[in-house]
Amino acid sequence: EAASLARSGGAGGLAQWVLVELQGEVAPRQSGGLAGSLLGDLHYTREGVPVLIVGHHILYGKLVRLEKPFAVLVKRAAGEPGPAGPHACYAVTALIKTKLLFKTRPKPIITNVPKKV
Amino acid sequence: GAMRSRGEVDATLQTAKLNPAELLPVVHCLSFGPQAGAGECCLLQLEPGLCAELEAGRSLVIRGEKDEQAVLCSKDKTYDMKIADTSNMLLFIPGCKTPEQLNADQASCDIIHSQIAGFGNNYWELRRCRPKLKKLRKLLMEDPYEGPDNQKDQTSTFSKYTTEDLLNLIQASEEEILHQLQVIDACKIEGYWRILEFDYEMKLLNHVTQLIDSESWSLTKVPLRACLEELGSLEPTEMIEHILLSYGRKHIDDAGEIYFEMHEDKICRAIAHMLLQNAVKFNLLEFQEVWQQSVPEGMTTRLDQLKGLALVDRSSRPETIFLLKVEDLPEDNQERFNSLFSIREKWTEVDITPYIQDLCAEKQTVGALLTKYARSSMQNGVKVYNSRRPIS
Repeated sequence: EAASLARSGGAGGLAQWVLVELQGEVAPRQSGGLAGSLLGDLHYTREGVPVLIVGHHILYGKLVRLEKPFAVLVKRAAGEPGPAGPHACYAVTALIKTKLLFKTRPKPIITNVPKKV
Repeated sequence: GAMRSRGEVDATLQTAKLNPAELLPVVHCLSFGPQAGAGECCLLQLEPGLCAELEAGRSLVIRGEKDEQAVLCSKDKTYDMKIADTSNMLLFIPGCKTPEQLNADQASCDIIHSQIAGFGNNYWELRRCRPKLKKLRKLLMEDPYEGPDNQKDQTSTFSKYTTEDLLNLIQASEEEILHQLQVIDACKIEGYWRILEFDYEMKLLNHVTQLIDSESWSLTKVPLRACLEELGSLEPTEMIEHILLSYGRKHIDDAGEIYFEMHEDKICRAIAHMLLQNAVKFNLLEFQEVWQQSVPEGMTTRLDQLKGLALVDRSSRPETIFLLKVEDLPEDNQERFNSLFSIREKWTEVDITPYIQDLCAEKQTVGALLTKYARSSMQNGVKVYNSRRPIS
């Protein structure tokens, strides 16, 4: 059986997404899973350095132009629950040519002042 | 929950002791989208050229039955797929802008809410591979075409394959499949790709070579029209034309007439095949004599016409020759070498090359393959190759 990776972009072409690469794992702060929960704020310095504030940490990163871009594949419901893996039906939803790589150890934010809400 | 406000963002900046003046005015507030954890999205790392193909609107296809390792095919290339793990977490974010894009954008907003579409710690990696074409011949050999008089053909279409069928079953790109169909001299009969049954193919070839002989045509100028006229009562015209295309090169002369330049090597080879299939092995000298007598007038037989088809045993007394077709051997590299070494313990490079040439990857040489899968030694002053491991 063949699974076709058809472009699902509209007339304007494939969307361009961005990859964010972080060390370690991402775990939800509250129970109930990740969906809908905040990760953090992404800033850029005026020199273009990405800065990510996650929880009580500041991460400094680097913008990397990917030598080998990624295609983002989205599984299309084939009608029946099939096994995961390459035999299901996929559509190419976007391309990723850029990644924000956060490799530096996070700097903790020291809060001895209550945050303004 | 409610979306973050610019005020909240600024408060966080203040707590973090970051100077807003040193930052671009736009912030991305990243949150996990509703489907982020569902695993519906995955990443495929693209080899050079594939990105451009996708952007040009072309599709990629994943092919493979449940018992096969999946491959990815573009219009003309085939790639093995493998999962690569990374120790880092990869998040994929639509609508996330780079500093370049932000600076170019005249929009006045100062906050972008981006939803993470998915995340993971692995991605599909591609590696260009040889198209898996052995199955193509296997499928077409299920029901070889034996000629129009054969009753079998009128009944089932069970093991007959259209181009579409082959695209679904063969792990190769469309261009690689179509090219291979040409290489194996397949033809389309009533919309199905067929291989000719060998005896029928030889019968057709024989009609043509006998006609060439009786008309005293030059082997380099065999006229299509005359062939169809003379032989059309014996065989379907499409089959006559097919055999001419298989064993000759098509030309058009100044008067617009089609003629064929016959492939001497290919004809001699086919006749050798016909002779050799009748026994396990032959006395080499006797075979060479019969072979030369069997080919059309004006053609010269040479043993090098039989590369990949037959093997000469120069160690036996008398010397012998036997049929050994490369297309009957396994497709996998290690299995191919195991098979060859079980047929003969030690091989010279000259003898083994025709039986491993097709295994070479894009820029790989036969020498590289031998280094990897065989061990060399000297025998009577000649370099020979044997198996790296004991063969049972």
